[in-house]
Amino acid sequence: MRRLAAPGGVLALAAAVVAFVAVVDPNAEGTYPSCPFLALTGHQCPGCGALRTLHALAHGRVGTALALNVLVVAMLPLLAFFWARWTAARARGRPVRTRAGDPRLIWALFAGVVVFWVVRNLPFGAFLAA
Amino acid sequence: MSYYTPPGAGGYPQSSPPPPNNLVWAILTTIFCCLPAGIVSIVFAAQVNSKWQQGDYQGAQNASKNAKTWAIVSAVAGVLFGIVYGIIMLVAASETSTY
Repeated sequence: MRRLAAPGGVLALAAAVVAFVAVVDPNAEGTYPSCPFLALTGHQCPGCGALRTLHALAHGRVGTALALNVLVVAMLPLLAFFWARWTAARARGRPVRTRAGDPRLIWALFAGVVVFWVVRNLPFGAFLAA
Repeated sequence: MSYYTPPGAGGYPQSSPPPPNNLVWAILTTIFCCLPAGIVSIVFAAQVNSKWQQGDYQGAQNASKNAKTWAIVSAVAGVLFGIVYGIIMLVAASETSTY
């Protein structure tokens, strides 16, 4: 059971963060710090709207979450997969990665993040902005 | 004269697990940590897998270290910003309050 302490701790921390963001509404002004990139440049970074997205998801408003930050919504299942793989490896006492995955997948993720970052700041990409 | 190094040289046999690419930290700092520094760690995470696949084991180790460093830079900068923001808000609140 001790092997599962770290994955369990991460799960508890994630649940606590989601519960906090669900209760303390990030849509209200001044409850959380604004994004420093947005404050400095006036442009949105790829993570802008992440807290409001989590808040919307915690309240079951998937449409609102997708409209705020589709990248965050898309990354959550990926993070859940990495957590599940880590937990399974820990439970069996085996290394998490035995071989490197296809690097093209990570390069595609990088390209996707950069395109999302640029497009959500362009007039025609306003539908991606938070 | 050729100095071709066969794959598996350099003390990193093909069967040993690759160095961590810290991709989870890269994603977390990119989407939750308000600073685009997390994107740099995505690049290094991709380099870990690219170089490992090409047999450049030392390069993969270095990229692994860089990915970790940049995730920490992004996370620490985010936490520092949060603390500074909190102090500014407290000071502003105490200055505007009237007794």
